[in-house]
Amino acid sequence: MKIFKDGLGEGSTFAGYHPAVNLIFFIFAIGITMFSMSPAFLAVTLVFSWVYSLMLSGRKAVKTNLLFTVPVIIIMALINTLFNHNGATVLFYLAGNRITLEAFISGVVGALLLSSVIIWFGCFNVIMSSDKLIYIFGKAAPVLGLTLSMVFRFIPLLKSRFKEIHLGQRCMGRHVEGGRMARLRQSVKEVSILISWSLEAAIETSDSMEARGYGLPGRTSFHLFRMKPEDWKALAAIGATGLAGTAGCIMGRTSINFYPQIVPMQWDAVMIVIFTAYCLLLSIPIIIDITGERKWQQ
Amino acid sequence: MAAIEVKDLSFKYPAAERKALDQVSFEVEQSEFVVLCGKSGCGKSTLLRHLKKNLVPYGEVSGKVLYGGKETGELDDRVNASQIGFVQQNPDNQLVTDKVWHELAFGLESLGLDNQSIKRRVAEMASFFDIQTWFRKNVSELSGGQKQLLNLASVMVMQPKVLILDEPTSQLDPIAATEFLKTVYRINRELGTTVIISEHRLEELFTMADKVMVMDKGRIIACDEPWNIGRYLGGSSIEERHPMFYGMPSVMKIYSACRAAGVPGFMRKDREFSPLTIREGRLWLEQIAEANNVPEVDSSILHGGDKVRQNSTKNDADEIINIKNLWFRYNKDSGDVLRGLNVSVRRGELFCLMGGNGVGKSTTLKAISGNITAQSGSITVDGLKVKKDNFKELFHNRLAMLPQNPQALFTEITVEEELLEALYYSGFSDEEKAGRIEEMLDRMEISHLRKSHPYDLSGGEQQRLALGKILLLEPKILLLDEPTKGLDPFFKITLAQVLKKLTEDGVTIFMVSHDVEFCAEYADRCAMFFDGDIVSVGSPKEFFAGNNFYTTSANRIARKWLPEAVTWEEVAAWAEQVTTGSN
Repeated sequence: MKIFKDGLGEGSTFAGYHPAVNLIFFIFAIGITMFSMSPAFLAVTLVFSWVYSLMLSGRKAVKTNLLFTVPVIIIMALINTLFNHNGATVLFYLAGNRITLEAFISGVVGALLLSSVIIWFGCFNVIMSSDKLIYIFGKAAPVLGLTLSMVFRFIPLLKSRFKEIHLGQRCMGRHVEGGRMARLRQSVKEVSILISWSLEAAIETSDSMEARGYGLPGRTSFHLFRMKPEDWKALAAIGATGLAGTAGCIMGRTSINFYPQIVPMQWDAVMIVIFTAYCLLLSIPIIIDITGERKWQQ
Repeated sequence: MAAIEVKDLSFKYPAAERKALDQVSFEVEQSEFVVLCGKSGCGKSTLLRHLKKNLVPYGEVSGKVLYGGKETGELDDRVNASQIGFVQQNPDNQLVTDKVWHELAFGLESLGLDNQSIKRRVAEMASFFDIQTWFRKNVSELSGGQKQLLNLASVMVMQPKVLILDEPTSQLDPIAATEFLKTVYRINRELGTTVIISEHRLEELFTMADKVMVMDKGRIIACDEPWNIGRYLGGSSIEERHPMFYGMPSVMKIYSACRAAGVPGFMRKDREFSPLTIREGRLWLEQIAEANNVPEVDSSILHGGDKVRQNSTKNDADEIINIKNLWFRYNKDSGDVLRGLNVSVRRGELFCLMGGNGVGKSTTLKAISGNITAQSGSITVDGLKVKKDNFKELFHNRLAMLPQNPQALFTEITVEEELLEALYYSGFSDEEKAGRIEEMLDRMEISHLRKSHPYDLSGGEQQRLALGKILLLEPKILLLDEPTKGLDPFFKITLAQVLKKLTEDGVTIFMVSHDVEFCAEYADRCAMFFDGDIVSVGSPKEFFAGNNFYTTSANRIARKWLPEAVTWEEVAAWAEQVTTGSN
């Protein structure tokens, strides 16, 4: 499909939803995943997280996802197999220690859990732009939101300032002085210029803040977000499925026992409800984005 | 009732010897547009800061500042924050948040307005300032002019009754500056906001102002309607002229010089009327020309630029910078910035490269100084190719560049040490170094500041210090990036003298500038840069005579009769000669 090529990025329809909707989705998705030690649940979350991450970031997601998850899977599976000696099914003995099938499987399952959490966080990163984080922190306390916003303002500012300093120093021909000490001296100098320049500039910034009433009691936090009907609908769907999934977690139905022997899942009616709710929950952003793309194609 | 009233205000900074403000008294009426001008360091910023409660500097104060009949110190914080708006010099340092819309909302957030009211006010302001198109952008993506407009808008969103601006356009290029000042004027005319603005760029402001105040050494020496200011400052002879006279618009300089020499005044409905705009200046010269039968010259037959093109390549023997067929782009997918650029600069000349924003002027400087590598073409500086192997030789007493922001060079805690730092790799003896520093302090007129911290200097003084630091490296070729930015007109003259002296000593100066008036008066050759190449080169006379729009105000006023006149002195001398000649 076309959308898997370059990814939707911040242009995704789900990213256009209210930050509260996005945040609640990720809390449920990641939260439930973290408390699910069962191959069935983890398989679902892994598949959905991969699909969604490919939708958001396209081809380049494959590389980053593998880069982050493969080592985790190998290391965790290895460690658990080698150092956890519980389990009834002994595969072989290594230096006098039991290496069991159960320990191996639980290691792999744990690794799957961790890697899907990592991939979900990758998606979180794309969806939760700086504005949304500022909004969410600003809801908690206006000053927190402002601080975050200032941080996002200062990072590019400092970068460009440092570039300018470096250029300025080159203009004096300071980069041609050879020797490691001279170069070290020069780098320290450039950083020190950056610091004093920024501190000096910060005085003006604080003047400008104070001139515009910063510090008056009762500060509010402005944002451009509005709950639209679609937001409410999505929130209802996420809430219903998420709560069902959470209930399953609390009841302990999303995990299985590995030791001493693996107990397969009980597929009763409750289980089917929980599992379906969980699948639905994770597919909500994917459904939203696919319908969103369809609308554009028409 | 007056909007702002200042009574006998005096102020002294803690360690200072003389008062920064000395018995200042004035009144500003409601909805008035007041321009405050003066040399840098004359106390303009100090005075403006006294008008806003939380910006008042620390020191000894006497006298009163009243806002709406109430002392500013006793104003309610909310009233102070919302009703008195303050815009400072530096566009970057005033921005607080990461997004344009958030910056607009900042003041209203402080006042504790709810989301719906903020949204409405922000929307109104965004429409008034026409910033809808970049409403959701990051502030780091904006140009300098946009940033300063945003600063203005985010003050205006609080609906202030008084707007105070402290040299708001000193960091902007002329086009952005003009746009900014027009917006300020619109605010004054359409919203009735009282405006008090301090500036060096007076060409446009004089036509907007209701009242002009001139400050000198902490005192207000003139406070009147703009057309009367010329007479105050001009005096009756050259010796009597106040230094600030040179900062006035060209029209006023020409007029007051001519009036003092006995040239008839501008008559309108049988009354004398001082011209303020180029249009009025032209009408006045029209009267003079008619009275004395001066013929018009058809300036369209002059193709100064084309003619010059050929004779500029004649004198190749003594060229020191030679750029041949230079092509450059920043990355593969971006467009070409330099398109087969050819420049040659002769030894010992002041060469000015002019042109609009983003045409590649600064890129050219970066290429000459080896900070970027061109895709094709060659640059030779003083017989050496600009490439990595030659850097060491190039930067040893050959090539140096003054960056746009002087702060990029400052590392020490006093002016003296700052200059000493420049000589770190020089290998001179200590006495030799001290002597050179002393000489440089004098040359840059900053001896009195030797113990000050570089950051405590004003913009113009910082610029001088940075130039001094660069000059201590004794370059044979000096590259300057917008050296007149933020300088007061008086120091511009000093700077020109410094540069002249350097060229006489055989230093070649390659300068990139927007400052048409400065280049016209002091350059040896000017070049117009457009679309990655130079379109015309020539001496200021030939160059500006060939231009119709991109030229000095003096030239625009008189080009009908005297197309080769580019400075106000030439026009004034011509007007005098015409009238006295016919008598």
